[in-house]
Amino acid sequence: MSLHLLLVEDDTAYAQGLAAELRALGHRVEHVGDGRLALAAMDREQYDTVILDRMMPRLDGLSVVETLRARGITVPVIMLTALSMASDKVDGLEAGADDYVVKPVAAEELNARIHAVMRGRRWTVSENDTIRAGDVVVSPASFRAWRGGQPITLANLELKLLTELARHAGEVLTRAMLIERVWGYDFEPETNIVDVYIRRLRVKLTEGGGADPIETIRGIGYSLKP
Amino acid sequence: MMDRAIRRISLPGLTLAVLALFLIVTVATGIAVLAANRVTVVQLVDRRVDAIADVVLERDPGEGLPGTDILLARIDALSRQRDTGDVGLALTRADGTWAGGNIRLRRPLAPGRSDLRAEDGIIGLSHGRALVRDAGAGRRLTVVAETEPFDSYRGIRTRIYLIGFGSIILVVLGGMTAFALLVGRRIGDQRATVEAIIAGNIRHRVPVTGSADEFDRQAAAFNRMLDRIAELMETMRGQSNDIAHDLRTPLARLRGQLSAMVAEARDDDQATRAAAALAQCDTLLAMFAALLRIAEIEGGDRRAGFAPLDLSALVEETATMMIPVAEDAGHRLSVTVNVPMPDIVGDRQLLTQALVNLIGNAIKYGGEDGTIRVSLDAIEEGIVLRVADNGPGIPIEDRAQALRRFGRLDSSRTQAGHGLGLPLVAAIARLHHGRLVLDDAQPGLVASLILPGR
Repeated sequence: MSLHLLLVEDDTAYAQGLAAELRALGHRVEHVGDGRLALAAMDREQYDTVILDRMMPRLDGLSVVETLRARGITVPVIMLTALSMASDKVDGLEAGADDYVVKPVAAEELNARIHAVMRGRRWTVSENDTIRAGDVVVSPASFRAWRGGQPITLANLELKLLTELARHAGEVLTRAMLIERVWGYDFEPETNIVDVYIRRLRVKLTEGGGADPIETIRGIGYSLKP
Repeated sequence: MMDRAIRRISLPGLTLAVLALFLIVTVATGIAVLAANRVTVVQLVDRRVDAIADVVLERDPGEGLPGTDILLARIDALSRQRDTGDVGLALTRADGTWAGGNIRLRRPLAPGRSDLRAEDGIIGLSHGRALVRDAGAGRRLTVVAETEPFDSYRGIRTRIYLIGFGSIILVVLGGMTAFALLVGRRIGDQRATVEAIIAGNIRHRVPVTGSADEFDRQAAAFNRMLDRIAELMETMRGQSNDIAHDLRTPLARLRGQLSAMVAEARDDDQATRAAAALAQCDTLLAMFAALLRIAEIEGGDRRAGFAPLDLSALVEETATMMIPVAEDAGHRLSVTVNVPMPDIVGDRQLLTQALVNLIGNAIKYGGEDGTIRVSLDAIEEGIVLRVADNGPGIPIEDRAQALRRFGRLDSSRTQAGHGLGLPLVAAIARLHHGRLVLDDAQPGLVASLILPGR
């Protein structure tokens, strides 16, 4: 899916590298160097997602998000920052950003997050609804899941993991994203927790026969077939 | 030598010693003054008694002692005189009977000087001095004078001494107590600041009263030193963040290229090698993440987000979550939580990370077919979270090293990981005013995260 992205970053060398990598992934990327230019660009054009550096001269990232939200502009915003402290992240999300990524970020990771925030925007359903991905059906509200109509018994964490994968069926979820969203951790454990739980989930999903619905994207993450 | 001896004395010890010395000197002074006073009075009275006896027993030149009539007449005359009217005089005959005078004695007094008391039955005399002199022909003259200038003089004198010296002692005691309290409070302020800084709150400062006294100047100098240290730390933290960032940028590009290589590998061998390089790149990035995380924790800012939490639930949940991970690596993991546990105030994320790290360490270094035991117990100090494995453990001499940044032990360098796991847990413990202790699990390593109770 080719997306129209606005990259707001004052470090030109870094921005050019990142923009090139995102273009290689098939996106249209526009780059501006500060917050005011970003607001001006958004007055002219519509973007699918804005990748916004937090610390910039003239108008910083936090102010840009606040201005956007105050104007009622709901474009997905991923805040990009060199600051990795948890409190900075909270500030960014409170200002109205959809996600918060520590620089430097791999293009694949950023790409996965862009798709995730855009997908999030399209959700009009509530938590009560069941989610369908191929022959996998998850009902987060009733803590139940089925494959091909057969119920699957899952532990709480496994169900949360399957729910997250199903919500983003067809998209890549990185390990960092899963740790954040399923485990709720603000750190990345050294142990292969995600891989172990994915393996368990695979075993349970394929117990009643059928092909493995979870795809491993090497070095990046996992994806549930739609 | 002297200097060293003085330094060794504690402040309360010194205060007590000075007080005791002061008390001894004061009491001794009081007693000495009292004694000198009494001796002087006795000497003066003795001299007066002597002089009066001389007057009574005065003889004309060339003659012997006068007759009884004359002596009694002299006594009578002296008794009437204003300046000698208070002196008691008595003349006794050779057989001991009273011949005359203005007093009668209850008991015979020995010749020479002696003390008299109220029991001697002389009206108006409680303490006095007596002189018995030979008056010739077996007669004796007794002269008695009071050593007290007025009634109950001794009692009053004692009271004056008690009130006088007592109030001096009270004033000194009060003064020293106030001084000790003042010094103690000001030094306590400094100690509180030092403790706060050790605990990671670098913004704490010693309060300055504005009195510009020695303590204030000391506090101001101390605070300036802290400002400077904080400034340097801030610069260093900024620099290490910059360094980490500057290094992470090219690393991220490298990572991107490596992952592209893995994806585009023409054969398995190429793919394996690219994947190995990618894994090392990830280790480096994880190392920077851990370093920045430690810097964040040591900055102490996360204390602002401390909230009451149920550690039993956190430990149970996290350790249970790790059971499949341990089993996946061929270990058994057991969890024992002894409830009820006192509530603690802390950072949920960091405490979870500490436990995940400790269990991760046990999985990584615990040896083949290991058994990992996670337990949470209440102890006198507060709460202890133990993670024990039955692996090779860490020799006692290497344990301190293992808690230092980049202090991973040589013998385990072949293992994956960046060696910042234990230092990170130690930093988390310190942030919570606790500590991380490594011990021998016989066999294996037991890591104890000790957190103080509320």
